[in-house]
Amino acid sequence: MRLHRVRLRDFRGVHDREVVLAEHGVTVLQGDNEVGKTSTVAALDLLFDAADSSRRADIRHAQPAGVDAGPEVEAEVSTGPYRFVYRKRWLRRPSTELDLLEPTRQQLTGAEAHARVTAILDETMDRVLWRALRVEQHTAVGQADLGGQDALTRALDRAASGPTGPGTGAGRPDPAADDGLVARAVDELRRYRTPSGRATGELRAAEVRRAEAEAEHERCRAALEAVERDVVARDRLDAELAGVRARRRAHGDEVAALEDRWAALQSRLREVDAARGRAVLARERATSARERREARDALVAAVDADAATAAETAAALAVHEAEHVAARDVRDARRAADAAARAEATAARRAADAATRAVGAARDRAELADLAERLRRVADAEAGLAAAERVLAGASVDHDALAELEDLARDLLRAEAARDAAAARVELSAPGALTLVVDGEELTLAPGETRTLPVAGSRALSVPGVLDVRVRPGLDEAGRDDAVRERARELAEACEDLGVADLEAARAARRAADDAARRAGEHRSALARELVGHADAAALRAAHDAVRDRLEGLDAAGAGDDDLAALRAAADAARTAAEDAAVRADEADAACRAAEDAVRDADTRAAVLAERAADARHAHARRVEELRAARADEPDEALGEAETARRDRARDAEREHEALAAALADDDPDTVEARVVNARGVAERLAGEVARLEREHAETTGRLQAAGHQGWHDQLAAAEAELDAAGREHDAVTRRAAAARRLHDALTRHRDRVRRSYVAPFRAQVERLARIVFGPSLSLEIDEELRITHRTLDGTTVAFGALSSGAQEQLGLCARLACAALVDPADGVPVVIDDALGHTDPERLARLGAVFTAATAAAGAAQVVVLTCTPERYHGIGAATVVPLAPSRRPAERGAPVRDEALRPADDLPAAAPGTVLDLPRAPRAG
Amino acid sequence: MRFVHTADWQLGMTRRYLGARPAKEAGGPTGEAQARFAGARLDAVRALGRIADDAGAAFVLVCGDVFESNLVGPDVVARACEALASFRTPVLLLPGNHDPADAACVLRRPDFARRCPPHVTVLDTPGVHEVAPGVEVVAAPWRSKHPLTDLVGEQLAALSPAPRGTLRVLAGHGELDVLDPDDDEPARIRRDGVLAALRDGRVHYVALGDRHSAWADAVDDRIRHAGTPEVTDFDEVDPGHVLVVDLDEHAARVRTETVGRWRFVRHDAALDTDDDLDALDVWLAARPDKERTAVRLVLRGTLSLRQRTRLDDLLAGHGHAYASVEVLEPHSDLATVPDDADLDALDLHGFAADAAAELFAAAAPEQGDAEARDALRLLHRLVTP
Repeated sequence: MRLHRVRLRDFRGVHDREVVLAEHGVTVLQGDNEVGKTSTVAALDLLFDAADSSRRADIRHAQPAGVDAGPEVEAEVSTGPYRFVYRKRWLRRPSTELDLLEPTRQQLTGAEAHARVTAILDETMDRVLWRALRVEQHTAVGQADLGGQDALTRALDRAASGPTGPGTGAGRPDPAADDGLVARAVDELRRYRTPSGRATGELRAAEVRRAEAEAEHERCRAALEAVERDVVARDRLDAELAGVRARRRAHGDEVAALEDRWAALQSRLREVDAARGRAVLARERATSARERREARDALVAAVDADAATAAETAAALAVHEAEHVAARDVRDARRAADAAARAEATAARRAADAATRAVGAARDRAELADLAERLRRVADAEAGLAAAERVLAGASVDHDALAELEDLARDLLRAEAARDAAAARVELSAPGALTLVVDGEELTLAPGETRTLPVAGSRALSVPGVLDVRVRPGLDEAGRDDAVRERARELAEACEDLGVADLEAARAARRAADDAARRAGEHRSALARELVGHADAAALRAAHDAVRDRLEGLDAAGAGDDDLAALRAAADAARTAAEDAAVRADEADAACRAAEDAVRDADTRAAVLAERAADARHAHARRVEELRAARADEPDEALGEAETARRDRARDAEREHEALAAALADDDPDTVEARVVNARGVAERLAGEVARLEREHAETTGRLQAAGHQGWHDQLAAAEAELDAAGREHDAVTRRAAAARRLHDALTRHRDRVRRSYVAPFRAQVERLARIVFGPSLSLEIDEELRITHRTLDGTTVAFGALSSGAQEQLGLCARLACAALVDPADGVPVVIDDALGHTDPERLARLGAVFTAATAAAGAAQVVVLTCTPERYHGIGAATVVPLAPSRRPAERGAPVRDEALRPADDLPAAAPGTVLDLPRAPRAG
Repeated sequence: MRFVHTADWQLGMTRRYLGARPAKEAGGPTGEAQARFAGARLDAVRALGRIADDAGAAFVLVCGDVFESNLVGPDVVARACEALASFRTPVLLLPGNHDPADAACVLRRPDFARRCPPHVTVLDTPGVHEVAPGVEVVAAPWRSKHPLTDLVGEQLAALSPAPRGTLRVLAGHGELDVLDPDDDEPARIRRDGVLAALRDGRVHYVALGDRHSAWADAVDDRIRHAGTPEVTDFDEVDPGHVLVVDLDEHAARVRTETVGRWRFVRHDAALDTDDDLDALDVWLAARPDKERTAVRLVLRGTLSLRQRTRLDDLLAGHGHAYASVEVLEPHSDLATVPDDADLDALDLHGFAADAAAELFAAAAPEQGDAEARDALRLLHRLVTP
């Protein structure tokens, strides 16, 4: 669709204005606020959508305030093969006029005209795209919803399938693309399945119904089968009962016969038992008789054995007496030897003690001599030490005092030297020997000798008799002399303090003191040496006295014969002799004790043997008495006879028993008994079986009677019918659900495939334009709904929503202009932008100008209409047709003619070109 | 001597195609048509009772399968007893294979015995029963569901020829070997033995049950199946009758009376064109007594999507009038193959057209993709509301 011109009359603030638009490229309508830019677009919507009879709110608002006139809009439009002029007036004398210019001239009015225009627009124009490509005032330039646009879809279809593509239904609206077929398919699928694929609604109900029907059918079938099993069981039980009862009767006879036979056998069994008892008794009696005879034999043997034993013990006692006496003799001899050995040992020990004492006395005497010598040396050392300490106590010059004296003496020498150095000197020389007196002393000068005299004080020289010379020193020299004197005086005083004559004496005193100290040290160390092992001299002396006292207690036998080594050897020999004697005494003692033990053992043995002999005698006597009594009671011959008689009786009884038992065994009583027991068991079992079968029979009958009232057949029939119906319903619903899913899947798959194929050409176009703004590194991600999802710039990818408002605005505009550039000229609709790009900086604005130009450069590209009150935003658009809008007021309100201004052409366009505003003066219409 | 020969009342029978209701409500006849069908069976019994009364019959002989099962509910038993009570003619009931005289036999059940009218006799013991002076009925009742011998032959073998002046009717249940030559079935009735017994006068009429279609032996028409008095299945030939038999020692004159009012109709139709659909529509519309008619359709042919939709609408429309209309799937061979007209009718473009084309390709007859056809039908419905 292309707009050629739009004329508004009495539409909001516009009195009467016609805007002519450029057929191609960008038309910028610029004007101040409220000049009626937005009204122009709104008027077009009303013209196309609202019937002239409509009194919608937006139509009522379009009526100019205070004027009794209906708003009127007229537009010249070409779309598809059509070109027409369409005019509508609302509210006051409403009218609709259509002047169809192409392809065939035709004029229509009223509802007919409206219907015709609606048909033409539906046929040739994508009205949704017309809305989508518009940017309204005051709204952010976001993403246009382009996913379902017919014209764009066709353009992309064409682009996606190449220049030789099918181009299906070009120029015809595509009902499947936008009439919600996919949505209806989804709704159909949702009747059966939730989005997660679970069964729901009818499908779920059908599944539940079938499951319940299956359960019910199973329940009824099981019940019916149970009844049928019971029927069969009843028949079987009838037959079994009859059989078991017959067997039981037959068995009864057999049992009776066996019981009779068993009773007869049992009486004979008792006889055998009695015979066996008799035989056992007789055998027992025979055994006891034999035992009594054997006891008598044993007794006789015991008497003989006891007699032998008594004789043996008596003999043993006699033998032992001799051994006993020998033992006592040995013991007595050993006792005597032991006493002798003990006396020898005592004597030897005394001799050893005496020798030891002699050695101790000799050692004490040596120690006493040593101690006396040490005491003497201690006394000497103490005397030397006392002398040295006295010298030390008398010494007055210590080291410090001596050093002070030395210092003073040095000072004196130094003062004298200083004085002598500074003193005037009198040099005396005489050509010939001369004697003169100097300070009263005579001095002789040899010839040629020169003598120098210092003038320390006044000096008197005189050549006796020749000359008296008095030399006096100057004042300085006198001072130095005083100093010398002072020093000398100090030295003298110091010496006096110390009690010495002079420095030399002090030094000698010092040396004497040092010598005394050294001697004292020597004496002290001698003392310490001598006193080793004792606290002091007194202790040493005490030790000496102790030893002396000890010696005085001893007899002076060995005194003077103090050969200690000899004494020690004698002591050692005596001790060894004493030890040997002790050993011999111990041995004699042990031998004596052994002999004593032997005597005691012999005593014990004698007692034992005596007792044993007595016992044997007593036993023998008892046994003899016993035998006598027994024989008196029953002689040996009687015992023998009884034994023989009883043994014969026992043999007879046993033979009788054996005969009876053999006779019974021939009749096999065990087998008979086993058969009787078994027959009784069988009878019992048969009775139990009959009882069980009768019980089962009664139970089964009871169950069958109960089942008769349940109507299981009817229930099963109903359940089968329900199962059948539920199964059919389930199959049908399942089929429908499967069909719904299949259709849904096929539709969405193909739609997604197509959309994916659309993305590439659309993205290429958008990127072409957007790179003008953002630079060549830009790339975009576009989803199947043709929305920009991400922008990548200089390698950085940002989601669309996270972009700045400005960038979103610019990308949104690029997307719309890309649509305008993409769609077929026949399908194209004008892109209307109402005061957008408020977020765009001047640099980007300049680039966007290039975008506008690039998007509209192609031949047949869509119209772009920009409405703005800030024309500088769009100065950058090279090929724009600028249409300035001025207020269009009613003649009565008009202050000044505006036509000149209004007709001012933009840039260098000729005045008659499109992009002019004709503000037509005309007479005010009557209400 | 006149009596009424009938069999196979099958009281308590239900048919699943007559409708169902959810299992939790089960317990009696289910569904509206089901209930009417159960009522119709009782009506047929009453009708034959009236016929017997009006004809002055000596007795009504029911040759087995009085009840559908030994385990029918007390309500079925009670209603049956009520229907029998309306008879004035004595009734003889023979246990058949559905209600054998086993431990669970319904004819011995306390609830039946309590309600059973005095003129009703249960022939649950085999052998000769004298039902009137000079009239004997030889009963060959089923004692279990799976007898191991020819019960009729067994009874006939034990008989000596009837005394002069005595008419003997044998009451049996089961198929003759000529009708169902199944060698493995030991309970088949040997026709030769039956014919011999008729020839030598041991019996004069052999009344049989079990076959729901009426039938008479070609050699001796005294061997007869009465058929069920009310239809029970689609494959029955001429059901819905009772036989009024006038019997003497040499021949039987048999009159057929109709008591059944329901019809079970099977219809085979080839459906390939709109004309075929028209014909089916007309056929369904032309049936009388639709509320007492169950129709089973066997359909063959190939239909387009549009035609298939029309068929569905057509069947649904008639289904409301009939007791039952069902398409017998296992025997039907009806293909739905979308044609170009269907594709054009969808009027799709763009990806929807691609999707439709894919489904069409999958739905082609050689692909056999039923789900794709269903999907196309759904698409058809979604596009053309």
